[in-house]
Amino acid sequence: MLKGKQSWVFGNRPVIEASATAVGPFEANGQLAADFDILHEDLWLGKDSYEKAHTLLLEEAVTTAIKKSGSTSDEMQFLLAGDLINQITPSSFAARTLGIPYFGLFGACSTSMEGLALGSFIINNDGAKKLVTGASSHNAAVEKQFRYPTEYGGQKPPTSQWTVTGAGAAVLSNSKNKTGKLVTTSATIGKVIDLGLADPFNMGGAMSPAAADTIIAHFKDLELDPCYYDLIVTGDLGRVGQETTYELLRKYGIPLERERFQDCGLLIYSDDQPVMSGGSGAGCSATVLYGHLLKQMQKGVFKKILVVATGALLSPLSFQQKETIPCIAHAVSIEISD
Amino acid sequence: MGKKKELSPVQERYQELQKKHELKKPILKNCLRAFLVGGLICTVGQAITYFYIYYFNFTEQTAGNPTVATLIFISMLLTGFGVYDHIGQYGGAGSAVPVTGFGNSVISAAIEHRTEGFVLGVGGNMFKLAGTVLLFGVFSAFVVALVRTLLSIWGVL
Amino acid sequence: MRRLKVLIGAFLGTMVSISLLGCQDRTSDESRISMVKPVNPEPIHINEKSRKEHDLAATVKKDIQSMPQIYDVAVIKGEKETLVVYKVKHLHRMMMKQIEADINKKLEKNYPKESFIVSSDFKIFIEAIELKDKMKDPGYPQDKAEKQLQKIIELKKEMT
Repeated sequence: MLKGKQSWVFGNRPVIEASATAVGPFEANGQLAADFDILHEDLWLGKDSYEKAHTLLLEEAVTTAIKKSGSTSDEMQFLLAGDLINQITPSSFAARTLGIPYFGLFGACSTSMEGLALGSFIINNDGAKKLVTGASSHNAAVEKQFRYPTEYGGQKPPTSQWTVTGAGAAVLSNSKNKTGKLVTTSATIGKVIDLGLADPFNMGGAMSPAAADTIIAHFKDLELDPCYYDLIVTGDLGRVGQETTYELLRKYGIPLERERFQDCGLLIYSDDQPVMSGGSGAGCSATVLYGHLLKQMQKGVFKKILVVATGALLSPLSFQQKETIPCIAHAVSIEISD
Repeated sequence: MGKKKELSPVQERYQELQKKHELKKPILKNCLRAFLVGGLICTVGQAITYFYIYYFNFTEQTAGNPTVATLIFISMLLTGFGVYDHIGQYGGAGSAVPVTGFGNSVISAAIEHRTEGFVLGVGGNMFKLAGTVLLFGVFSAFVVALVRTLLSIWGVL
Repeated sequence: MRRLKVLIGAFLGTMVSISLLGCQDRTSDESRISMVKPVNPEPIHINEKSRKEHDLAATVKKDIQSMPQIYDVAVIKGEKETLVVYKVKHLHRMMMKQIEADINKKLEKNYPKESFIVSSDFKIFIEAIELKDKMKDPGYPQDKAEKQLQKIIELKKEMT
């Protein structure tokens, strides 16, 4: 149901039945290793190309999530997935293997929440009984496409971010039994915002206005108090972007408590890992939300969270042609049902 | 960053705000590290030059070529073992400017595109970083040689 | 990180052992040291009997040595040519070309009849010392020494 200008309220409260994550070696050494389901020691995942490894990550996350939800992939009506690679081939190839009717999404690093929002909308409006949504990224495959070769000895500036190798997937259902379960309650779809930043090594700075805009729109549309959520978590703004967003929000009259405003890109790695400004990539918000945050909610640490995944909608061509970076953010709120 | 386009007041105001939070590049530290790493690489190069002068029949004039070849070879090995990108992150320009940076850019691209096969992958992409250096290096050498030749024909030099 | 250290260790190890192995076929200590230290070699002349040539080599050496930018000179007087090799003080190495021109001018002025081969190359210097050491052996034939000198001169003419 539409509320306000750009938000949906999910009256039927789609249930997140289960979620699963698969991550690479670098993430397995990070802070959240214990919360991930499948940890890989090898960046290749035993495949002969990084793109194939990328596909496998998503396949593993999706099949594990389906298994954990106690159903089979035949029961899944739709798969909503996306990634950063050209023509989102890893997601499409995974969909080929999984054999689930498939929506390919592209929202750069915001894909995870785009998928969750759309999935919830479909379930909420009886478009499906069960579906699975996910997002993934693979460090080496993404770097190959967007930046320099991985072994190239170029110096990265401190504003740059490290693309997460990982996939996260969640199974949504229209189950009537909601007590104590995680449900999605609302979503806000962001608009594309470009404030003229063009440095691909400073995505956080470019994305923060989009994040701020979506968060402001969310509170306005739903007429909520900023204290409503226990935690507002952004996708992959990194150190630079998160500070900037925090200040933007305060300027626009949404005073948040500092510790209630977190970023997936900062949560995933430990301080001694050389990731500069934090993690990024479509897999970043997916793994942290579906691995770490949902577990925290089940433990009762948080009751209501708002996840705002941000995406920088650039391509290698566009930034070489000196275009600025347009950005987007989507927000989904997740609550524990009483 | 490209040339500054005309910014709207909103963009300008935001970029100012963003600048405050942007992590600055530690320029002085980077320069120092580049100096150290670059100097170290050049010291190794000097040692290799002496090695060729002393043990082989190379003079100071002719030892340059095998030294360059050896340094490129070493940097290619280090790239293959996955060491050079760490040196690059630490040393910055210090490891990019010497000839070892050239070897690194060639081999890293070759490794990266190995999965696309030898012809289209390795062959087509090997020089995607170093190609620029080669093209403009050869071109500027050509221009300089042309100017010199013309000057000497006209009797200026 | 540990693998990196092992790799670097192995690499240095190989380099050191290569250079140690290489050292064994060198006979003269002086030529080895000459790369890093001034050795001040005596001037030599291939024609051992000629008193005149001895004097000539000695004065050439003295002439060049008197230049302030230069700290080590080796002179070999051959049949036709005289080889003059010198080392330039580090701070004056920027002026190498100028110094070479000065030396050529000086030699031309002082010894108009002689032909000189002038070089500042370390390699030539080492080879000159080697030749000098070989010639210490009275059994070393004169024509062989001359041949060696020609070889050195050829080396000097070789360019990149």
